[in-house]
Amino acid sequence: MIEIIHPGIMSLVVDGGRFGYKEVGIPTSPALDIYALGILNHLLGNEGNAPAIEAFGGKFSLRFAKNVYCAITGAKVKASLEGRTLQSWMSFEARAGEVLTVDEVREGFRYYVGFSGTPVLDKIIGSYTTNLECRFGGYRGRAFKKGDSIDIEDIHQVDVKRIPDKFIPHMTPPHILRVVEGPEINYFTDESREEFLGGREGTAFTVSTQLNRTGIRLDGKPLAFRTDAEESIISEGLLPGSIQVPGDGLPIIQLHERTLGGYARPALIARVDHDLLAHLKPGDSVIFEMIEMEEAERLFDRKIETVTPIGN
Amino acid sequence: MNISRYGEEGIRILFGETIDLEIHEKVRRYYFFLKSLQLEEITDIIPSFRSCLILFDRKRTSYEALTVSLRDREFLIAHIDIPEPKTHDVPVEYGRENGFDIDFVASHTGLSEDKIIEIHTSVTYKVFAVGFMPGFPYLGILDQRLYVPRLETPRLKVPEGSVGLAQLQTGIYPFESPAGWRIIGRTNKKLFDYNKEPYSIFQIGDKVRFIRA
Repeated sequence: MIEIIHPGIMSLVVDGGRFGYKEVGIPTSPALDIYALGILNHLLGNEGNAPAIEAFGGKFSLRFAKNVYCAITGAKVKASLEGRTLQSWMSFEARAGEVLTVDEVREGFRYYVGFSGTPVLDKIIGSYTTNLECRFGGYRGRAFKKGDSIDIEDIHQVDVKRIPDKFIPHMTPPHILRVVEGPEINYFTDESREEFLGGREGTAFTVSTQLNRTGIRLDGKPLAFRTDAEESIISEGLLPGSIQVPGDGLPIIQLHERTLGGYARPALIARVDHDLLAHLKPGDSVIFEMIEMEEAERLFDRKIETVTPIGN
Repeated sequence: MNISRYGEEGIRILFGETIDLEIHEKVRRYYFFLKSLQLEEITDIIPSFRSCLILFDRKRTSYEALTVSLRDREFLIAHIDIPEPKTHDVPVEYGRENGFDIDFVASHTGLSEDKIIEIHTSVTYKVFAVGFMPGFPYLGILDQRLYVPRLETPRLKVPEGSVGLAQLQTGIYPFESPAGWRIIGRTNKKLFDYNKEPYSIFQIGDKVRFIRA
């Protein structure tokens, strides 16, 4: 069993996501950094999409009531176990009664905490992940509060190991997000498209404070709609990572919580960079760089191949 | 029918350009055709007013291979069994207490509250899409006389069961949630239950009648 002493700014249960029912609006709600979740579970000898805690902000703290192996991946944090300093991206053994504390987030935004065993949680519609808006899945369908506790079953032993640096992503801004063309790219002026999608030669946006697990709103120079284009579309199916632009011209990066949308989508984030979206935080600088679809496919396949040796 | 790629794992199939019953019927047929194929490489399907979005698993197929395979089987569309749409009666308590915007709707449309209710309950609506949030039905087509714009700044919270209007649509919020539609009433009918299938009482093509409670 583990007991939450402090939930950080927010922490909740996530897994690989909920699939197969988007036709009735049920979103995926997965871990935003699926790569970090996969490596975490690899370190702990769990199935790759097994549930774990996704958290952000410092002060996150929990107490172990059983001996178990634990690890933290995702954002690079300064953490300690009973005063002994711990590193991110490595497994460690925790003994009953010991307290784990995340003191500070040094690079990135969201971090993942997992255990070598099966946490006892609510499995709803095939997944343990939390749908915060509709309050189901995970831990009673909500974020953690002080004093919550989770039982862990089937605790197994693992070898303590560390993920080599070359497998740990960089999460420092400016974030260069590669994108592919979206269905409504032609709704925007040529000039606006060049600036928006021009990579380092283009304009940078800033992550606003309007940011949650549903979407990330950006500040910067608004995109200009062509005079003959509508400012909205008839609502239709939306893919995760789509960049939606409402009438005010400021882009919103949609994450995984919405299945339909009615705003124009000039582009969407290439899958190779989806994990990075978990680490955008208010004030960070973001640059979009348009790539071809074939390039996006190749980059994603290469990312998967790269981690195959470490068992993701 | 216009097939195009949307992102690395999406196929967007457009059946028309407008909100129209005939176009929507094509979407619906295609959606049931896709479901009947039971293809493992299709992970999700999102049908809506005028399009079907297919989400596919690129580990199992490619955009090219899947679109060819779908075209090869298209002839089956004429032969599949399409389920009969269900009709749902939804009791609504209209009025100020549950419908925060009914006064706005009255002043915007120039209609009395009774007239608004009479018009809203006189149409059998079609479920054009379910989504944005679990179980939310996009219902149409609303009588022109009830046309109202969305809120410029969405409300942070409306209660579960709130019934709203936006342009030529009406809909019901299955959960307490933020809302940009104009709320005219509330139902106590349970629209979504994550503990048992079908999770959503509505599926596309179903019919909905509002009844004054």
